[in-house]
Amino acid sequence: MLDLAIFGQHLLNGVLIGCAYALIAIGLTMIFGVMNIANFAHGEFYMMGGFAAFYLVTLLKLNYFIALPLAVVLVVVLAVAIQQIVFKRLRDAPVMTTTLVTIGLSILLEHVALLLWGPQPQVIPNPFPTRPLSFFGIYTTPLYLFSMAVTAALIVVGHLLIQRTRMGKAMRATFQNREAAALVGVRIDRVYLYAFTFGAALAAAAGAVLGGFIPVEPTMGGVATLKAFVVVILGGMGSFVGAIAGGLLLGLAEALGAGYFSTGWKDAIGFFAVILLLLFRPEGLFKRA
Amino acid sequence: MPDSKPHPIILGAVLAGLLIIPLVVRDEYYLHLFIVSAIFVVVALGLNLIVGYVGQLSLAHAAFFALGAYVSALLFFNLKWSMWIGMPAAAIVTAAVAFALGWVILRVRGHRFVIITVAFAEIMRLVATNWVDLTRGFMGLPGLQIPALYVPGIGAVDVSSKERFYYVVLAAALLSFYICYRLVRSSVGRAFVLVRENEVLAESLGISAFRTCMIAFVVGAALAGTAGALYGHYIGFVSPDLFNFSYITIMLIMVILGGKGTLIGPALGAVVFTFLPELLREASYYRMVIFASILVIATLFMPRGIIFPLVEHLVPRRWRKGHDRAA
Amino acid sequence: MQSRLSVAVIALAVAASAAAQETVKIGVVQPLTGPVAYDGNIYVNTVKMLVDDMNAKGGVLGKKIELVVEDGACNPAQSVNAAEKLVTRDKVVALLGAFCSTSSAAMMEVARKHKVPHLTAISTAAQLTEQNNPYFFRAVATTPMLGAAFGGELPAAVKGKRFAFLVINDDWGRSMVSSYPKPIEHAGGQIVGTEFFQSSDLQFLPYITKIKAANPDAIILAANTQHAVALSKQIRELGITKPLIGEGSWTSDSYLKLAGPAAEGVYGLVEYVYTIKNPINAAFVKMSREKLKDNPSKFAGAAHNAIHIMVDAIRRAGAADPEKIRAALTKTDYHGLVGNIRFNEKNQAYGQDVYLARVTHGVPEVVKTAKIAKP
Repeated sequence: MLDLAIFGQHLLNGVLIGCAYALIAIGLTMIFGVMNIANFAHGEFYMMGGFAAFYLVTLLKLNYFIALPLAVVLVVVLAVAIQQIVFKRLRDAPVMTTTLVTIGLSILLEHVALLLWGPQPQVIPNPFPTRPLSFFGIYTTPLYLFSMAVTAALIVVGHLLIQRTRMGKAMRATFQNREAAALVGVRIDRVYLYAFTFGAALAAAAGAVLGGFIPVEPTMGGVATLKAFVVVILGGMGSFVGAIAGGLLLGLAEALGAGYFSTGWKDAIGFFAVILLLLFRPEGLFKRA
Repeated sequence: MPDSKPHPIILGAVLAGLLIIPLVVRDEYYLHLFIVSAIFVVVALGLNLIVGYVGQLSLAHAAFFALGAYVSALLFFNLKWSMWIGMPAAAIVTAAVAFALGWVILRVRGHRFVIITVAFAEIMRLVATNWVDLTRGFMGLPGLQIPALYVPGIGAVDVSSKERFYYVVLAAALLSFYICYRLVRSSVGRAFVLVRENEVLAESLGISAFRTCMIAFVVGAALAGTAGALYGHYIGFVSPDLFNFSYITIMLIMVILGGKGTLIGPALGAVVFTFLPELLREASYYRMVIFASILVIATLFMPRGIIFPLVEHLVPRRWRKGHDRAA
Repeated sequence: MQSRLSVAVIALAVAASAAAQETVKIGVVQPLTGPVAYDGNIYVNTVKMLVDDMNAKGGVLGKKIELVVEDGACNPAQSVNAAEKLVTRDKVVALLGAFCSTSSAAMMEVARKHKVPHLTAISTAAQLTEQNNPYFFRAVATTPMLGAAFGGELPAAVKGKRFAFLVINDDWGRSMVSSYPKPIEHAGGQIVGTEFFQSSDLQFLPYITKIKAANPDAIILAANTQHAVALSKQIRELGITKPLIGEGSWTSDSYLKLAGPAAEGVYGLVEYVYTIKNPINAAFVKMSREKLKDNPSKFAGAAHNAIHIMVDAIRRAGAADPEKIRAALTKTDYHGLVGNIRFNEKNQAYGQDVYLARVTHGVPEVVKTAKIAKP
C-alpha cells in the first residue's frame, strides 16, 4: 500500500519536472531546428524569467498572477534585443562560431545576473496555501498543481501555434528546407525572430512558474541548458513533439531512476543516452527512422 | 594562418628572455603566474590542434586536463609513484581515452560532435565525484609533491622551489611547442588544414579525415593530460573542481583570442589569459563579464583572434624570415 | 551591495598599504563569487567590522590591523592563487580562510610552503588537520566532533528512533554519514536511509520521496542556505511533518527569512547561534545589527572567532612575525563568543560550546549545549 503511494509520488514528481524540462527544451529545439544553432545560452532565459518574476512580486509588489506574464514579457523584450544584436549575425555561421558565441553569452548573462542580483537563491512569494494536499497517500501542493497545469497548457498552446498559425507553418517549412521556404516567400528573418523569442518566452515562463518552489539563482541556467540538451537529443534535434516526449521521459526516468536505483548517477544516464543517440540515432527516440 | 619561421636572432632573444625570467622576476607571485602560464601553454597548444587546425570544437579538452591530473595524482597517492612516471602515464592514459572516444565520435561533425564532447566531459565529472572509493570524491587528493629530478652526472636535484620548477614547466612548454611546430609543418599538418577547409576535397585527394582528426585529437589530449599532471603536482591538490565548465571556457578564450590555427597565438593567449584574471583581481566581480563579452565580440568580429594579429602587426616583416606557405 | 562593499574593502586595503607601512597585515581568502559567495561575504563583512572596532581601540602591538581580502570563489586553484598573492605580494603575516574544505586543503599547502600561519573557522572536513601541517589551525569543530557531542542526544531530543540522512555529496556530507550513526545507534536509534544530493541540485523531490519510503522519525541534513531553503520547503510540501535536524545554515537569518514557515520547528546543530546568552555575544549582536543590519549568522560567528584568535596570538607573539605568531597560536587559550578555545597537538580547536537550537516562532532557541571534548 505504502509502496504504491511512493511509486505514485515518484511518477507525479517525474511528470511535474518533466513538464518543466519540456517547456525549456521546446525553445532549444526550435532554435536548433529553425536557425541551426545549439544555443548554450538558452537556460539563461529560464533563470531570468525566475528573477524577473521574483522582483516584480517583491520589489514592485505586483500581484503574483500579473507578475508571471509580465516577467515573460520582460524576458521577451530582452530576447528580441539579444536576437537582433547577436543571433542575427549568426545566420549561416559555422558551428564553431555559433557555439562559442552562445557559450560566451551564457557566461555573460549568468555573471551579469550575479552582479545585479547576488548569489543568494530566491523563492518567489506566491498566494497559494503551503499546506500539502494528499490523494491516496500521494502528496502535492496547490502550487505544484498550478505549475503543472500552466506548463501543460503552455505546451499545448505552443503546439497549436506551431501547427495552426501561418507563422508556425513558416517555421516548420524553414526547418524542413530553408532555401525552398525562402523561395516561396517565407521571410526567414521573421521566422528566426519569432522562433527565438517564442522559445525564450517558454523558458522564461518555466522559470517564473517553478520559482515558487525551486529557488531562483544565477547559476541555474547552465544546469537547465544541459538538461534541455539531453531532452532535445532524446526527442530528436528540431522536433517539437520530440521535445515534449523527451522532457517527460527524462523527468520520469530521473524520478524513477533516482527513486529505485542510484541518485548519484542519475545524471550520468542521460549523458550516456545522449552519446549513444547522437552516434546511432540522431533523429531521436520517437521518430521512425 | 601562417606562422612565419622566426629569425634566429629573434628566436635566441626570446629563448634567452624566457630563461632569465626567474633571475629577473623576484616577485614570487609573478613567478607563480609564469609557472601556471607555462602549464596552460601546453594545454592551449593541445586544444589548438583540435579547434584551430582540424576545426572541430571539442569541449572535452578540460576533461582530459583533469583526467591527466587525476591519473598522476592517483599513482602518487596509491602507489607513491613520482611525477616523473605519473606525467608520461597521464599522457598515455589520456591519449588512450581520447583514441577510444575519437574512434566513435570523430565520425560525426558539427553540433553532434560538440554535444557529445560536452556529455563526455559531464560523465567524467560525475565519475570523479561519485566514484568515491577511487577518487575520494569531493575530498580530493591532497599532499601531491614535486619530486627531485635525477640528472645524469649530478644526481638528484630538488626542483620544488618556484625558481627551479619554472624551468621544468618551461621545458614542457617549449617541447610541446616544438612538437606542434613539427606536426603542423609536416604533411600531417597540411592534411589538418585541408580537412578543416574542405573535407570533401581532402578525402578526394586520398586524405582520411577520420585519421587526420584522430591524430590531432589524440596528440591534443596527451598534451592536456601532461599539463594536468604538472598542474596537480604543482598546486599539490587534485579535486573534481578541475572538471568545472569554467576551465574549458578559459582554455577556449586562450586559443580563440590568441588566434586559433597559429602556434604563437594560443601560446601567448595562455600567458595573457593567465595573468589578466589575476591582474583584474580587484575587479573580480566584473572579470567574467569582461571575458565573456570579449569572447562573444572576438568570435563575431575578429575570427583571427586578437593576439596573433597584434604580433603580426608589431613585429616588423623583415625580422620574420620568409612566410611559411605550407600551413 | 555586498559586492561593492568587498571591492571597497580591497580598495581601502590597497590605498592604506601605500600610505602607512606601520600596520599588521592579515590576509583573508573567502568566496566572494561562486556558489557560496553569500556566506563568504557575511564572513568578510563581519571581519571587517570587527577589525574597524579593534583599530578604533588601538589595534594590536600599537599598530593598526590591515585586512587584505581576496576572492577564492570556493575553487581550490583560485584560492591557491589568492593565498600566493597575499603571502608573496602583500606580505601578510597570517592567513584567514577558505570556506570550502577543498579550497582550505589547497590553500594550506601555500601556508606550509611559505611558513605563514593559516587559520580556518569554517572548513570542517576531518582530514584537514591530519596533514601534519604545523602552519594550519582550525578553530571550528569537525563534523565527527559535532557528531560525537550531539549524536547520542538526538533520539531523546526528537523522541524518535529511526533516522534518515539527506546530505550534500561532498566531504562534509560524507563525513557526517560516517560519523553520526555510531553515537545515534549507541543511544538506541537506527539509520534507515541515506541519500546524497549534488551541489547543483535545487529540486529534491526524488530524494525526499525515497527518504519518505523509509519512514524515518527524523531527517538529518547537511546543507547551507541555498540548499537548505529548497530542502525544507520541498520536504514539507511532500507531506513529511517529522523533525528536521541540520548541520549548516539552518539557524541563520537568511535561511529563516527565505524558508518562512517551512523553517518552523527545524533543529540546527551549530557552532554558533545569535541567541546564546553571554556578554561577548550581546555586544557582538548589537554591533552586527547596527553596522550590518542583520543578526550574526554561523559564519559571522566563525569570523568573530577567527579574527579574535589570530589577533590574540599576534598580541601574545609580541611581533608581527609569522613564525612567532604560529608558536603563539599553539598556546591559544581564548575565552570568547562560544566559551574557551584551545588547540590540540594537531592544531584542532576544542573546549568550545556547540549548540542544538530549535526554530520557534522564527527564532532559533538553544535547547541543548555541549562542550567539544579534546580529540
